[in-house]
Amino acid sequence: MKSQPGLSVVYDSTRRGSVVLEELREIFNYRYLILQLVRRDILTRYKRSFLGVAWTMLNPLGMMLVWTIAFSQFFRSDNLPSYPSFVLNGLLAWTFFSQTTTAAMVNLVWGGGLLNRIYIPRVSFAIAAMGTGLVNIGLSMVPLIGVMLVTGLSLHWSLFFVPISILILAAFALGVGLLISTLAVYFPDVAEMYQIVLTAWMFLTPVMYPETILPDAYRLYITMLNPMYHMVKLFRIPIYYGRLPTLIELLVPLIISLFVLTIGWWVFTKKSDEFAYRI
Amino acid sequence: MTDDSIALSGNQSIIQLENVSVKYRVPQEQIGTFKEYFIRVLERKVKHRSFNALNQVSLKINRGEVFGLIGHNGAGKSTLLKLVARVIRPTIGRVIVKGHVAPLLEVGAGFHPELTGRENIYLNGAMLGFSREEMQEKFPRIVEFSELGDFIDAPLRTYSTGMSARLGFAVATDSQPDILIVDEILSVGDEAFQHKSYERIQAIKAQGATILLVSHSMNMIESICQRAAWLHRGQILSMDNAKVVVDRYLGRVSDEENRQLIEESHRGDYQINKEYKPIEIRQVRILNNQSQEQQIFHTGEGMLVQIEYVAHEAIDSLEVGIAIHRQDGVHISGPNTAFDGLDIKMQPGVGGVNYIIPSIPLMEGLYQITVALVNREGNKMLDYHDHFYTFRVNNRGHNVNECYGLMTLNGEWQLL
Repeated sequence: MKSQPGLSVVYDSTRRGSVVLEELREIFNYRYLILQLVRRDILTRYKRSFLGVAWTMLNPLGMMLVWTIAFSQFFRSDNLPSYPSFVLNGLLAWTFFSQTTTAAMVNLVWGGGLLNRIYIPRVSFAIAAMGTGLVNIGLSMVPLIGVMLVTGLSLHWSLFFVPISILILAAFALGVGLLISTLAVYFPDVAEMYQIVLTAWMFLTPVMYPETILPDAYRLYITMLNPMYHMVKLFRIPIYYGRLPTLIELLVPLIISLFVLTIGWWVFTKKSDEFAYRI
Repeated sequence: MTDDSIALSGNQSIIQLENVSVKYRVPQEQIGTFKEYFIRVLERKVKHRSFNALNQVSLKINRGEVFGLIGHNGAGKSTLLKLVARVIRPTIGRVIVKGHVAPLLEVGAGFHPELTGRENIYLNGAMLGFSREEMQEKFPRIVEFSELGDFIDAPLRTYSTGMSARLGFAVATDSQPDILIVDEILSVGDEAFQHKSYERIQAIKAQGATILLVSHSMNMIESICQRAAWLHRGQILSMDNAKVVVDRYLGRVSDEENRQLIEESHRGDYQINKEYKPIEIRQVRILNNQSQEQQIFHTGEGMLVQIEYVAHEAIDSLEVGIAIHRQDGVHISGPNTAFDGLDIKMQPGVGGVNYIIPSIPLMEGLYQITVALVNREGNKMLDYHDHFYTFRVNNRGHNVNECYGLMTLNGEWQLL
């Protein structure tokens, strides 16, 4: 649907390649829309507040403060210098995940009326949600590094690995976002249920506590079977622990996230023709 | 490129539907939770009722044609537009569309109230598939056409409906599309803007674009479209020259409407009321010259409003009045028996009056009649049916040439 002169675009409903791949091409054609949607989300979110986009950085700081005051005595240990940095580091990864997946779903269910009126690639909303999350997590790196320096942690060259951690996390979040969006179109209750699931999931993931405090009996389940454990860890290693991940520490989350993204993309695009009927 | 060879093969049709059906699958009951769903899947009890929004529709629209779609709500017009805009795919059949489709969005769709006009222009343009460069090039023209001036940097929530409509229209129609989809959008905004957008549509048409128009305004369909299709329950009932289709459609609709209006007008018929009234309106009938009940008239036709009432006690000085309003609230006339010097003394029992209009001067429209019974002593309202009785003036098929304003004064022109 580019505005080229003449009749260069022919749409034939019977001629169609793989939906799964076609959507990939379309989203590339509509990359400017993604940019605009991200811009809209970021501009409108804080438009009426005095501090504006600064909240993107203040929010995680506030959360960190709450967690630190509430839990730092519990988890005091020599292995955990600067508990605030530890918490904030994990919190950023978690917030990115929960916000991206929730926004992907909410944008589709509430903003999806648009899909009923004009053609836009259906994955646009989820990808834009991920884009917004990426901007937010990027901005949040500033307070994180600030807190690390203030609490006496040193920065390492491994920080340059962080973008890769974020990309792997983002791919995972997009995959999950697409899956629950599809579900939410068919079952409106999913939107409510998901918030409860997220809360439970967060407590089951070592976000504000070190995995070492888990009783051995549960540790294996919580760490190995929980994909978010690997994602949070991969994000923490180059920042908080100040080292590069080992090959296993990199490959496990990478494979999980590519797998989930593929499944999510496949399910979403296969079902997306029905969305206009249902939203 | 195979795509180009189709486009250039000399085939003039730009939109083509071949035996298209769109089936919506609606679950028979709303299943809202997983648990329910899984139980039902296990029991194989998820029953779907399928509903044909379009049923074996075939149609060809040629390049440069202005094509109208008419029909009741739910007849399948929007579904057809969605197929062309590739929002939905047909369940069965084939849809071929050659060229760039520009849909005119409903007012405000795709706009964000917190963003400024400027930001919304870029957002909306991106939704229509334009790139940043294209939007930068279009931007000044869009601002000019939408006449927003300084408002361009104010948040959209501060705009009037007309202003957002102008903006949406300006974004969607800035570049010459191959196919323009217009869904009732021209009914918004002030007259000046309607005129302007009408002109732009004419210009787009003059450039050779194909226009697909849905409207409830038969005048618009007749005046803009060459051909039209009348959709009814997902099928094409009639497809022909626009004027022919509109005539057929209105013929059917006025029969139906007449029946419906007569039915409605009897909801005020005498019922035993719990509340005691000294006198009650028993029945009001709108009759034509031949004393037959009728709800659709034409300008110049005679009309008789027959009012019957039943008194439960003696009333020395009864006044019967009616008020005629146009549907939009304009009060047209308010005659009553006292103005005519008619003195009515009621004994308990049934009585009635006729109000005779020898020739209705009203132009086309929907009108409502209010009936009131008043005791002249003390000016007390006894019974009252507010905006209860409806009639329509429709001049189609009658030899009435005047069509502007509220009514005809039955004047004459004389050459000096």
